[in-house]
Amino acid sequence: MSAVILPGAEPFLFRRGPVGCLLVHGFTAAPQEMVRLGAHLANHGYTALGVRLAGHGTSLDDLARTRWTDWLASAQDGLDLLHGLCDRIVLLGLSMGGLLSILLAEAEPPAGLVLMSTPTLVPPNRLRPLLRPASPIYRRIPKGPPDWFDPSAAAERVAYAAYPTRSMAEVADLIEIARAALPRVQAPALVIHSLNDDFVVPANAQTLMAELGSRHKRLLVVEGSNHLVTLDAQRQTVFDAALAFVRRTAGPAR
Amino acid sequence: MSVIVPRGEAFLRPGGPVGCLVIHGFTGAPAEMRWFGEQLAGRGYSVLGVRLFAHATQLEDMRRARPQDWLASVEDGYHLLRGLSESIVVLGLSLGGILALHTASRLPVAGVVAMSTPYVIKSPWLRRLRPLLPALSAVIPTMAKDAPDWRDPELARDHVEYAANPVRAAATLLDVHAEMLAGLPRIRVPVLLMASHGDDTAPPAHSRAIFERLTTTDKELLLVENSGHVITRDRERQRVAEAAAAFTRRVTGWPAGPKRKARR
Repeated sequence: MSAVILPGAEPFLFRRGPVGCLLVHGFTAAPQEMVRLGAHLANHGYTALGVRLAGHGTSLDDLARTRWTDWLASAQDGLDLLHGLCDRIVLLGLSMGGLLSILLAEAEPPAGLVLMSTPTLVPPNRLRPLLRPASPIYRRIPKGPPDWFDPSAAAERVAYAAYPTRSMAEVADLIEIARAALPRVQAPALVIHSLNDDFVVPANAQTLMAELGSRHKRLLVVEGSNHLVTLDAQRQTVFDAALAFVRRTAGPAR
Repeated sequence: MSVIVPRGEAFLRPGGPVGCLVIHGFTGAPAEMRWFGEQLAGRGYSVLGVRLFAHATQLEDMRRARPQDWLASVEDGYHLLRGLSESIVVLGLSLGGILALHTASRLPVAGVVAMSTPYVIKSPWLRRLRPLLPALSAVIPTMAKDAPDWRDPELARDHVEYAANPVRAAATLLDVHAEMLAGLPRIRVPVLLMASHGDDTAPPAHSRAIFERLTTTDKELLLVENSGHVITRDRERQRVAEAAAAFTRRVTGWPAGPKRKARR
């Protein structure tokens, strides 16, 4: 009998100074996709905590049983723990992690909010109402072929090989709920999106920018990266931008 | 919105290089370990109180819980606490005790404190009913809890817990409990078991049975008198906290101090 969490999918805590960063990964993925960003922030003196969302980093069947409220509770757990170490906190979320960060920010305004590759638009799909009822029979939706600009990034990736159908319904609901919350989010925000993101197209970022309630919000568009901007070829640009934003909104590390 | 009920949050108190991972019980919340955790933090330990999957949100969530979800919650706390500490002692109450013992058979820990831990869940007939519980839960999703056994009735007023027992999750409880029992012989680290004569759910005979099945040579059993099931909060909580702290100090050697000759 060994660990339930898959190797490489463990949550992480890099403890540094009193300014903290909560890092929230995306759908079917794991803290692994945020750990390099976390390490970059920690190298510059910021405490970084990467949560593991419920159902993630264990088995696909575990994910299929979870609901978006379970994922939000996991993200909230990370925030509650980080409060034990830090008095100022920046939320940084990738893709679905960005949606959860929006909801956390609505409830409790952070010092800053970084939304990376975050969806706001549910693709119009006649099949959407069928996702829940069909899921006991059609349990999984296969993932498309990899689209890395830096193929070496694939080697580190820890994620499920498919999407649980049942969970896709949860993601669709979460997108709509997070979008509705955008006008109530006031925290300074940095939106990062790749021009080459074929999975969550750049129009999503434009909607984010238009509907975020924040007075101070900026859009950074990168090129030459896939959806996973924290892993692919433009990750250093993303790391640098995130660090500069944390410094600007939450202050120096000490 | 917050999906976690007020005072149901996980907590983290940074301290020294020894970490205490504290785990609450079935249908409970980190709140029932907070005072206990504070006592350990006050003695210099880093303390992390996990919130188990589907707990401290809404009762209906418990229907989805499986053993691996609770084990993963504990592992999450373990990995995050490793960010603050070199060695970790796991301390749990009731289901938390089950999970603490289960974790000690799988992950490297310095020691285990299992409090009010059941050897049999409710009664032997519940185990026989296990195959029927999922189907039964579709018709009867919850069952009323027994009367609480607080020796200090004031504590009932601010206890954070679900109002009833979820039936599907009772099956999960039985399953993780069975896994824990099977893993007892694999535990090679020091264990402290604590129980109360006033506990209606897991009286001392339960801890004695677990004690017998532990093959580790370093094992202790501490019994208290004047407390109900939630010994981390009830009338003997001071004694319970002191015993946990003394155990943690002994098995980790931290904080270092004047050498003690005899064990408690």
